[in-house]
Amino acid sequence: MSKNKLIIATAGAGKTTFLIREALRIKDGNILIMTYTEANEAEIKKKLFNESPDHKIPNNITIQTWFTFLLKHGVKPYQGAYNNYLFDKEIKGLSFSEGKSGLRYFNARGFPVYWGEEENFRKFYFSSDFKIYSDKLSKFVIACNENTKGEIIDRLSRIYSYILIDEMQDLAGYDLEIIKLLFKSNIQTLLVGDPRQVIYLTHHESKHTPYRDGRMKEFINDKCPRLCDIDEETLKYSHRNNKEICDFSSKLYPNLPLSEPCKCDECRREKSEHEGVYLINRCQIKDYLVTFNPTILKPKNSVAPEWNFGKSKGLTFKRVLIFPTGTIIQYLKDGRLTKRIKGKEEKAFDIAKFYVAITRPQFSAAIVCDYDKSEKFIDGIKKWQSS
Amino acid sequence: MHISKVTIQGFKCFRRRFELLLNDGLNIIVGNNEAGKSTILEAIHLTLSGLYNGRYLRNELSEYLFNKVIIENFKTDSTVPPEIVIELYFEGDGLAIFEGDFNSERAKNCGIQLKIALDERDRDLYNDYISDNDENVSLPIEYYELTWTTFAREVITAKNLPFKAALIDSSSNRYQNGSDIYLSHIIRNYLDTNQINGLLQAHRRLQKTFSKEKVVEEVNKLIEERTKQTDGDKVIKVDVDLSSKNAWEYNMLACVEDVPFQHIGKGYQAILKTKLALEHQKATEANIIMIEEPENHLSHSKLNQLLNDINEKCEKAKKQIIISTHNSFVANKLGLDKLILLNNKKTIRLNDLSEETIKFFRTISGYDTLRLILCNSAILCEGDSDELIVQKCYFKKHKKLPIQSGIEVISVGLSFKRYIEIALKLDKKIAVVTDNDKKSEILIEKYKTYNDDKDCPIKVFFDTDDNYSTLEPQLVKHNRWNLINQIVDAKYKKDGANYKKGEYKCNNEDELLIYMENHKTDCAIKFFDTEIEFEFPAYIEEAINYVEE
Repeated sequence: MSKNKLIIATAGAGKTTFLIREALRIKDGNILIMTYTEANEAEIKKKLFNESPDHKIPNNITIQTWFTFLLKHGVKPYQGAYNNYLFDKEIKGLSFSEGKSGLRYFNARGFPVYWGEEENFRKFYFSSDFKIYSDKLSKFVIACNENTKGEIIDRLSRIYSYILIDEMQDLAGYDLEIIKLLFKSNIQTLLVGDPRQVIYLTHHESKHTPYRDGRMKEFINDKCPRLCDIDEETLKYSHRNNKEICDFSSKLYPNLPLSEPCKCDECRREKSEHEGVYLINRCQIKDYLVTFNPTILKPKNSVAPEWNFGKSKGLTFKRVLIFPTGTIIQYLKDGRLTKRIKGKEEKAFDIAKFYVAITRPQFSAAIVCDYDKSEKFIDGIKKWQSS
Repeated sequence: MHISKVTIQGFKCFRRRFELLLNDGLNIIVGNNEAGKSTILEAIHLTLSGLYNGRYLRNELSEYLFNKVIIENFKTDSTVPPEIVIELYFEGDGLAIFEGDFNSERAKNCGIQLKIALDERDRDLYNDYISDNDENVSLPIEYYELTWTTFAREVITAKNLPFKAALIDSSSNRYQNGSDIYLSHIIRNYLDTNQINGLLQAHRRLQKTFSKEKVVEEVNKLIEERTKQTDGDKVIKVDVDLSSKNAWEYNMLACVEDVPFQHIGKGYQAILKTKLALEHQKATEANIIMIEEPENHLSHSKLNQLLNDINEKCEKAKKQIIISTHNSFVANKLGLDKLILLNNKKTIRLNDLSEETIKFFRTISGYDTLRLILCNSAILCEGDSDELIVQKCYFKKHKKLPIQSGIEVISVGLSFKRYIEIALKLDKKIAVVTDNDKKSEILIEKYKTYNDDKDCPIKVFFDTDDNYSTLEPQLVKHNRWNLINQIVDAKYKKDGANYKKGEYKCNNEDELLIYMENHKTDCAIKFFDTEIEFEFPAYIEEAINYVEE
């Protein structure tokens, strides 16, 4: 038994609830709960509020996003240890970068050239308005920790006795180095996540590339054996999705164990006539919205109360209406998860985001797609007809 | 949990970085006027509460907070905008969140920093201002900001500090709208969240009943009629001020037996505030109590009582208390080992005095230890008569009293040893004037360690002629006996061996000596007041020369 634990969960298995109950059980020390997105941070706060006996977030529990944590406890206390220049500079926050940050110029052939840490740490780590690039944050923290001979982790271990991380699958690159340091410290670390739901690949560093895409389990087995227990049983049943959705979503990850719906009475108390995965034509949207009142999920540019696929992670809806990308529609037709690009086998579409979208509802997911009556789609999709 | 160190730079009288180490428990700061004692207390309180003179300093920045010399220099050279930095270093468990390298030592430390500096976002405006005004510029305080951070560069609010500060002084400039903001802060620290919210709600209910009072309704109706000329006009009425969350603090008065707090005596105010602050008990918070010159407005017995309270609580409740004082009684009573002497922006502590000496002064607290501590140099003598003769001798030489040159003449009875122990710690020039009591051989041996050591600042002066063992015979020795007789102007009456006041004069040297022995103080006053020139014993003149060197 190790003091640290990784729990592999399936979508809708109640990992956040599990995490919160774990936190509420602990009375003897400060607890830091972390997650990747602000939406999930808010979700954790809400659930914690509901789960705690007196509807108060206990004083010994702090909830933060991973980035806030890195900035607050990793960068700021010893930023002067990186170098003297940074000692009294105020880092103005985070600069979230979609792609690799620190672009220097495009070369003659149109390829981007990036700043290196050695040649210009200022432009490597920081935007022009002195925000630190989110994809390099953990690298910076590791550098400061080394320069202070471990002071950052030591300080942290005297503040928090427990660190609980939700959505661990989004951690990559130097994040994993930080996880390793946490494993080795006095802190008891619990990681929970679903390797299928890797939405925020914000690391473009070459550090630990084999363990991208949610391969925390493999990282632990290879790089920190015996430092952390791995539990794949506790959270393998989905309390949210029904069998049809579980089966359909499992097809997206043929190499991972199948998701299974939880069969307890509690989970299956509510029944609906309209369950499963449906296709609807664009002209049926209005009709469908009126009939079922689903939550709308879009790949991007959603306007509240709609959700982007990625942002909806961790949330539960009764029904959803998904606006797919072209590549997702292609998959629905041919069932191919990969395609060959320049001789390499690449993902045919953003599998993780689609997985997140399709696993949000309790009852039904409808996908908008204009089709002919004769057109064939992969198994598990029903064509919706208004009554 | 306590403050282990304070640094102040650029704030008021502290131009260069000033550092003060503090003990857990009691600390007594002594120093002359203008030495910066109050400024230290203000700086600590400001950095723990954000308050300065009862107001949130963030909104009240002014040039006057800065050191005068810095501001003067700034007028001629404005290239570097001046800054104020105050730091508090913490020690204790559960404070790791305050750890980081963001401090003036640029190393791992635990604490907080308050900084008043140019807002970097206004750097352009500042530069424009400086280039537009070549000479004699005043500090453009409007481009300044106050930042309040942990050593981990985290912004602080007073709420999330585990230290609660109480500043107790009896000067009157801390009052706002009649209520004493410091008192309300002490009360606030004493209460838990539910109690504060309860007060807030009760205050709000008060407003409701107020506006429903018949007379208030009538008044409001009247105002409405007068002001509401057209339908579009808005309604004006009188009400209780609830505009801020802290409104109750301003509207509420502490009363002592129905007398509003600010109307009770200053001394009693100080006692009450100190007691309230001392009672503060929250396990997760440390309490820092700062008391400015508790001797002000207090009678001797009240002061004694207050000091007993402070001593007791400090031991029991593990509080950190910082006191500034001018008063020897306060210093002796609370323990000379707790003294921090502030002189020329430097500090000296009396940390390792012997147990006996500390106990001696604590028990017999009347001794003027602070006179010794605060003077430039001192002459210690046995009794009042010796003191007067030394004063007179100095006056004869300089036509002024020694105190006017910072030289104290202190009558210490037989406790030379205790004073010398303090003086050694201070490395202060001290002349001891003593009688030889017919044992000059023994004295020479006894004081060899001082008198033979060139580097020792303490020298003992006495006459080696055992025939003239005390001051009185010494005076007779150095002058004609009938000159002395003329000065003391003896009027006595023989009654066995005793001489009582009467009309007879001394007829010879022996009679004079017996008279003088029995009327030491009377004679000393005569010597001090006389217009007649007389010679002083050589060892007294030597002692004066020594402390003047």
